[in-house]
Amino acid sequence: MRDTMLIHTARAARGIGLAMLLVIGIPSLARADDADRIAQLQKQLDQSIKMIDQLAARVRDLEAKQAGAAPTATAAAAAPAAPAAGAAAPADVARIDAVEQKIAQIETANATRRPDDTGLPMHGFADINFGNHNPFFPEEKGFALNNLDFYLTPKLGDKLLALFELNFEVDDTGTVGVDIERGQLGYQFSDEATLWVGRFHTPYGYVNTALHHGVWINDALRRPKFLMFEDQGGVMPAHTVGAWLTGALRGDGGKVLYDAFVGNGQQIIEGLVDMRSGGNAHGKPIYGGRLGYQWTSGQLEGLTLGVDAFDSRIDDDQLPQNLTEVRMYGAYAVYDTDRWEHTAEVYLFDNLGIVPSTGNHRSKAYYAQFGYRGVPWMIPYARYERALLDQTDAYFSGQISGYSYYRSAVGARHDLNQRTALKFELANTHYTDRDVGQFNEVLGQIAIRF
Amino acid sequence: MQCPPQRRTAARFVLVIGWLLSGACLPATNASPAPGLVGGIRLDMLPQGWRDDRNQAFALNDLAGRRVVLTMAYANCHRICPMTINALKDLQSSLDARGEQADFVIVGYDPDNEDAATWHQYRRSHHLPRANWHFLSGSHDDTEQLARQLGFSFWKYDEHVMHESRAVVFDARGLLTAEFGPDTRGWTAAL
Repeated sequence: MRDTMLIHTARAARGIGLAMLLVIGIPSLARADDADRIAQLQKQLDQSIKMIDQLAARVRDLEAKQAGAAPTATAAAAAPAAPAAGAAAPADVARIDAVEQKIAQIETANATRRPDDTGLPMHGFADINFGNHNPFFPEEKGFALNNLDFYLTPKLGDKLLALFELNFEVDDTGTVGVDIERGQLGYQFSDEATLWVGRFHTPYGYVNTALHHGVWINDALRRPKFLMFEDQGGVMPAHTVGAWLTGALRGDGGKVLYDAFVGNGQQIIEGLVDMRSGGNAHGKPIYGGRLGYQWTSGQLEGLTLGVDAFDSRIDDDQLPQNLTEVRMYGAYAVYDTDRWEHTAEVYLFDNLGIVPSTGNHRSKAYYAQFGYRGVPWMIPYARYERALLDQTDAYFSGQISGYSYYRSAVGARHDLNQRTALKFELANTHYTDRDVGQFNEVLGQIAIRF
Repeated sequence: MQCPPQRRTAARFVLVIGWLLSGACLPATNASPAPGLVGGIRLDMLPQGWRDDRNQAFALNDLAGRRVVLTMAYANCHRICPMTINALKDLQSSLDARGEQADFVIVGYDPDNEDAATWHQYRRSHHLPRANWHFLSGSHDDTEQLARQLGFSFWKYDEHVMHESRAVVFDARGLLTAEFGPDTRGWTAAL
């Protein structure tokens, strides 16, 4: 019994010792580079201190010499000798000060020149909403958490890129969910071409690849409803898991913007479009692209016009299962300057019901938003949005939010400081087919970046 | 006559919103140089290999002997940078009124999307023709090093550059002598 206890005690001691070694040893290894650098700086500092000591010794010698000379001088000569000694010391002190200042500068410069390898910076966004409705789930009212969004871009090298957007979000039941909203690895061939693989925001229109999950970025309180993310009321495949080639070709007076992508075909699960992060069952892809032109000089500076399209076979989780070929053609316009921020997008759907065979279904959705940045303390905006979605199309009828509506909204953004925005929006929404009715919203939002 | 509770609540709500909008809840400071940088950085310690908006090589040492106001910006910014540029314009006007001179240096945050032509167009569209205003772009490494040395913290969120309104001032000896940030009120008075 005692032997067993001793064995257990010895094992525990070995375990603790091993753990301590790991705790002490692993960080030491990780900090080896830092240690070298610190040692080098310490060496420079030691040299500098040595120099100061030499100068101080020289000051002491001078003072001693002057003190020794004074008694041999006449009383009359002694009087001016004292100020002379006093004059020599401040000169050397000034030199020492100069040396010390120089050392301080070297230290500062060395510290700030150091490569940024002190770890992965943590940045992100968060927002809290309040009003007579939840801006994303209008059946809820009061105060609402929305996003806590962490944005990580670990450095892999000059050409290899990584981007992760990790989001803690509250759903319509008040439950907090965690999602890797974007997880992309990329290779930058040149300024004109970058290839990403992973989960990305599907490149269509403007909003979906310009505003992302950080609500602070958006001057408006929220995206147009049909362009919201899949779990917040949007009806588009906002995320795609696949490959995405993107870039810009610069020319005189403007640049051509292009995107091409292919990924897993989405699936409607429990009434929401799911991007099938682990692959889909039928193996059909979504593919599409976007082409735009941005004026960077002249009368049209700030204007971007573009077109986009995608095609995908999207099924659902119903029995019997529906399968629809979703074909979207769109266009967008953006006028973005120091004074104005106007955006408009239109999406035309020509969907084909495959299982069951229901033929073609045409739907459309569009919005226009006008913003004015000319007022120094606020950015007012107005938006009109409309979705006319065919309820005999399984792609829309299978979605919880796949109904037709129109909404008018006015709002404003006020920056409390450069990291905190306060936004308000008044909106009137009409549902026009699956449900018929209307409601008014008075919404507020505090959005931050960090 | 007393207000009904709903009206009192509404009035309080309006007062709170007014207070928030007024910015009174936010701290403001006068120009107070950061002790860690001021006196510790000289212009000649910074990266020197830049291109100006005429695509000519430009070294910050070329400005030795002159007072320099330096900021960082990105040409596509429509929220923060216009404020910074307006503040620099005010500084320029103030110096003109006092009969003093300085060079204004604007270094681009985003070399991927900004080159000499971009800044040349920026200068034209923002009506900044003066020769003592220099719009510079450089390599990734030099840009990041300059930002680190001068305390310009920034990060990229896709095509957006997250940053703040900030400027530093070097005196004629090339020593960093002042730093203006987003909470600094009165850049002009502080120079």
